[in-house]
Amino acid sequence: MSNTTTPQRTDHPSADTDYESDRPWQVIVWNDPVNLMSYVVWVLRKLFGHSVEEATRLMLQVHNDGRAVVSNGPLEKAEHDCHRLHHHGLWATLERT
Amino acid sequence: MKEPFTRRGDAVAVRLGDDERQVLRGLTDVIEAAGDADGRFAYTAHPNDTDAEDGYRALLGDSLDTARGEDRTMMTATLDSKVLDEEAAMAWMRVIGDARIALAHRLGIEDDSWEETQDPTDPETALLMYLGYLQDTLVRVLT
Repeated sequence: MSNTTTPQRTDHPSADTDYESDRPWQVIVWNDPVNLMSYVVWVLRKLFGHSVEEATRLMLQVHNDGRAVVSNGPLEKAEHDCHRLHHHGLWATLERT
Repeated sequence: MKEPFTRRGDAVAVRLGDDERQVLRGLTDVIEAAGDADGRFAYTAHPNDTDAEDGYRALLGDSLDTARGEDRTMMTATLDSKVLDEEAAMAWMRVIGDARIALAHRLGIEDDSWEETQDPTDPETALLMYLGYLQDTLVRVLT
């Protein structure tokens, strides 16, 4: 993922909108001892349209490393993704890229 | 052993005995008795940023609790059905998952090795494993 080095112009710059800027956010899924590996793969495919190979790679990363980035984007999209993961019982949080 | 769920076109055929359906009928109580399961059901998007979390809460309101409650209502309403549409099957999938999280919390399960260390003859452990079998079968049918 590339980092932008040029300042970004916003139409309505203000302190309030700082954290809602276009800087991408990433959605992290954390390991838990209960959710089935097959279920996690299914959820990642269903919610994000990942291929079975990509969903399996992410699931194994969660299982082995404790966490994986499963999607990213502007804050609104990342929060929506996070909400849908919570609805499916996965422990997910957001981080700035 | 007959498969509990099989694909039928766009729908899912259910082959469960009355005793099995009775077990599933109790899952709502299992989940609701767990409360927030010491925080496991208290989901946060921004655990280290109070302002951002407040914004997230303001945006979502209680929509997550509402959605989880609607899943339980949907499952209860379709428990005697022989065929589930995909929406109902997905609600069953999520309720079974929530019930497994609630049971694991009750059993004090905190790491991945529980399947080797828990006593499989303990009724709650047996239920946790049975629900895993049901959910895994549903995953295969819906994939």
